[in-house]
Amino acid sequence: MLIHSFFLFLSSVIVSSLGMIVFVKRKKSHANLFFFLFTMAISLWQISYGIAFLPIPHELIFFFFKIGYAGITFIPLFWLFFVLAFLNQTRVLKSLSWPSIAIAVLWIFSIAFLNLPIVSLFHYPWGAYPKVNIIAHIFFLTYFYGLFTTSMIFLGLDVFFSKKFHKDLGAIRSRYVLGATIVGVFAAIDFTPNYGLNIYPFGFIFMLAFSAVTFYSIIKYRLMDVSIVITRTTIFIFVYSLVLGIPYFFAFSLQEWLKAFLGDTWWLSPLILLTVLATAGPFIYMAIQRKAEEKLFQDQRRYQATLRQAATGMGRIKDMEKLIGMIVHIVTRSVRIEHSVIFLKEPGGKKYKFEGARSRHKMKWEVKELDTRSPIIRALNKVQQPIVYSELKQRALDSPDAKFDEVARQMELLHAELVIPSFIDENLIAFMVLGRKLSGELYSDDDISVFSILASQAALAIENCQFYRDMRATHEQLFQAEKMATIGIMADGLSHQINNRLHALGFIAGDALDTICMKKDLPMSGAIKDVMVDLEHALTRIQENVTQGGEIVRGLLKYSRKQDETLSEVDLDELIDEAFKMAQFKIKKDAMDLITDFPRGLPKIKGNFTELQEVFFNLFDNAYDAMMQRKEELKEEGYRPTIKITAELHAPKWIHILIRDNGIGIKAEDQVKIFTPFFTTKLSSKKGTGLGLYVIRKLIEENHKGKVIYRSEYMKGTRVYVMLPAC
Amino acid sequence: MPKLLIVDDEIDIREFAKNFFQKRGIQVFTAGGGSEAADIVANERPDLILLDVRMEEMTGVEFLHGLRESEDKTRVIMVSGVEDEAIVTEAENLGIVGFIHKPLILGELHKVVMAELEKIV
Repeated sequence: MLIHSFFLFLSSVIVSSLGMIVFVKRKKSHANLFFFLFTMAISLWQISYGIAFLPIPHELIFFFFKIGYAGITFIPLFWLFFVLAFLNQTRVLKSLSWPSIAIAVLWIFSIAFLNLPIVSLFHYPWGAYPKVNIIAHIFFLTYFYGLFTTSMIFLGLDVFFSKKFHKDLGAIRSRYVLGATIVGVFAAIDFTPNYGLNIYPFGFIFMLAFSAVTFYSIIKYRLMDVSIVITRTTIFIFVYSLVLGIPYFFAFSLQEWLKAFLGDTWWLSPLILLTVLATAGPFIYMAIQRKAEEKLFQDQRRYQATLRQAATGMGRIKDMEKLIGMIVHIVTRSVRIEHSVIFLKEPGGKKYKFEGARSRHKMKWEVKELDTRSPIIRALNKVQQPIVYSELKQRALDSPDAKFDEVARQMELLHAELVIPSFIDENLIAFMVLGRKLSGELYSDDDISVFSILASQAALAIENCQFYRDMRATHEQLFQAEKMATIGIMADGLSHQINNRLHALGFIAGDALDTICMKKDLPMSGAIKDVMVDLEHALTRIQENVTQGGEIVRGLLKYSRKQDETLSEVDLDELIDEAFKMAQFKIKKDAMDLITDFPRGLPKIKGNFTELQEVFFNLFDNAYDAMMQRKEELKEEGYRPTIKITAELHAPKWIHILIRDNGIGIKAEDQVKIFTPFFTTKLSSKKGTGLGLYVIRKLIEENHKGKVIYRSEYMKGTRVYVMLPAC
Repeated sequence: MPKLLIVDDEIDIREFAKNFFQKRGIQVFTAGGGSEAADIVANERPDLILLDVRMEEMTGVEFLHGLRESEDKTRVIMVSGVEDEAIVTEAENLGIVGFIHKPLILGELHKVVMAELEKIV
C-alpha cells in the first residue's frame, strides 16, 4: 500500500522542484511561470492521490480525490498557457486564458460542491480509485483532448512550418517540447482504473519524463540533437525490457518446467539470469548505441575524424600562412560550412588580425582586425570556451543584457555562428570564426568538443610557427649584420678610391664649367650658345652628384670605422651649440626658431662629444629638411619652423632628451624603415644619403648604450627621444 | 704673379686644377709626388701649396714634416679624403692654413685659395 503512495509523493517532489528551479531562474518570464504552475498542478494531483491510496476513512479519500481532480484539471490548462508563452503567441494566450480558466473553475466547483463526476470508489490491491459517471468521461475527453491537441498543433506548426531555414535553437527547443507533450499524453493510462480495470496508475512516470524533458530544454542552451535523444531512449527501453523481461518470462511461464528440472531451488535460475543480464545490460546498451549513432551521424563522424587527424598533423607545419590556410581549408571543406576565418594576435598583443579565410560564397570581410578590448575578445577571455551564436541569442532573449547583445552584434558582423578560441595558458593567441553549416543544422556538442581539440592543437602549432618565424627573422638580421660588417671592411678600402675618382670628376667638371662661364658672354652663333647652355647644365649636375657621392662615402665610413670610444663628460648646452654650428652651412638661422629648455643643474652626459655632435647635427639636419618641406608643400599661413629641445633627468642615471620639430613628419608606412641604411625620403635623394638615422642609432645604442625613439605624425611633426647615460 | 703648387698623384687633378687657376692669372706648378714637389719648392718658392694627404711615394704629412724641418714656412692647404681625420690633427700641429675635404667643388677651392693668395699680395 505504502509503496504505491510513495512513488507518487516522490514524483511530486521531483516535478515541483523542477518547476521551482525554472521559476527562480527567471521570475519575469511568463513561460517559466506557467511551467511552474503546471508542475504545481501535477504535484497537487500526485500528493492528493498518494494520500487517497492510503488506508484512511472513506470521507477523507473522497476529499483528497476531489483535490486531486482540481490539480488534474489545471494540468492541460497551464500546459497550453506555457506552450503559448513559450512560442511567444501572446495574443492567443490573452484571448484564451480567461475563458478557459473560467471553465476550469466551474468544473472544479461542480466537483467540490455538487459531487457531480465522482459516483463511488473502486477498491484495488494498491488502493482506492474513483468511479466516475458519464459527465466526467465527456468532460475529460473533450477538455483534455481539446487543450492538449491545441498545444500540440501550435508546437507542430512551429516545428514543421516555421519559415526559418536556419534551424536555430528556438526550433530545436520546440521539437523538444513537442516530444515531451507526446510522452505526457501517455499519462492518460491513469484513466483506466476509473473504468474498473485493475491497473496501477503509473502515468506519473510519463509526467515525470514530460516535465524533465521540458525542464532540460528550458534550462540548457546547448541541446542535444533530438534524434540522439530518441535513439538513446529507444535503445534503452529495448535493452532493459529484455534484461527484465526475459527472467520474468522464465520465472512465470516456465515455472513448472523449471521445477521439474531443478527442484526446489528452481527460483535461483531466473535470479542468476537476471544478474547476468543486468550486468551485461550497460555494455549491450553502449555497443548498440555506438553502432546506431555511427549510422545516424556518419557524416559528422567522418569530418570529426578528419579534423582529429588534421589536429595531430598541424604541429609539423612551420609556415604560418600555410598552417592557417590548411586549418580554414580543412574546416570549411570537411564540415561543410559557409566559411571560416582565423584571427591571430599581433606580436604587440594589442590587436587580433584577420589572417586567413575560406568561404563558399564570395564574401567581403568587413572586419579585418579586432581590438583586445572588443566585446567578443573579452567574452572569449572570460569563458575560455567556444561561443555559439544561437545559444548567445537565446540567452539574450531569456535575460536581456547589453553584454550579450554587444557580443551577438559583433558575431553578426563577423558572420559567425561559432567562435572557437585558442589558448596557450591564459593567453588567447588566436580564434577561429565559423559560419553556419550548409545543412542548416546547429553545431552539436560533439562538434564543439572536436573543434576545441583542434583549437588547442592549433594554438601549439601557431606558437610553433611564430617561433620559426621569429627565428628566421633573427637569422635574417644576423645575416644582414654580417653583410653590413663586410661592407664596412670593404668600405674602408673602397672609399679612398671612390673618393679620389669623385674628386677628379669634380675637378674636371668644375674646370670645364669654369671655361664655359668665362667664354659664354663672347659673341657666338645661337646654336653654339644653346650647346653651351646644355653643357653648363650637365656639368652643374655632375658637380652636384659628386658632392652627393662624397657624402655617401663619408656616411659609409662613419659606421664602418672603429672610432675613439672613450666616454667623457659632455655638456648638453655646448653639444647643441656645436651641433648647430655644424649645420649652419645649410640651416638659415633666421628661417626657424630653436628653443631649448632644460632644468638648471642637469648633470653632464656620459658620452663621446664628436659622436654626439654628429648625432645632433643629423637630427637638426633632418628636422630642418622636414620643416622646409612642410613650408614648401603646405604653404600654411603663419607657419614658423620651430625646433624645441627639452631634457630631464630620469632616475637613476639617465638623461632623456626630447627634440621636437613641427615639420612634415614621417608617413606611417615609412616609419618602420627609417633606421634602415640607405633609406631616404628626402626629395629625389638629392639631399639625403639614407644613412643619418642608421648612424644615429648605431652611435647612441651601441656606443653609448642609450636609446633613440622616433614618434612621428605625418603633417604634424616629429618627436625624437634620445636617452643617454648621465655622469 | 702669385705662385701656386699643386701636389697630387692624380694626373687629372693636376691637369684640370692647373688649367683652372692659370685662367685666373696664377702661375701654377704641379708635382706628382713629394720629391718632385720638394724641388719645385726649392727652385720656385711658391706662395701656396695645395697638398694631397694620401700619395703613393710619400704622404702629404711626411712631405710637410720635411718642409717644416727645413725651416720652410710656405703656406700649405691640406686636401684630405674622408678617412684621414687622425692625420689632419697631426698636420694642424705642423702649421697649415687650411684643410679641405675631398671631393670638393672647384668653386669652393677657388674661394679658399684666392683668400689665401690675397693675403700675400
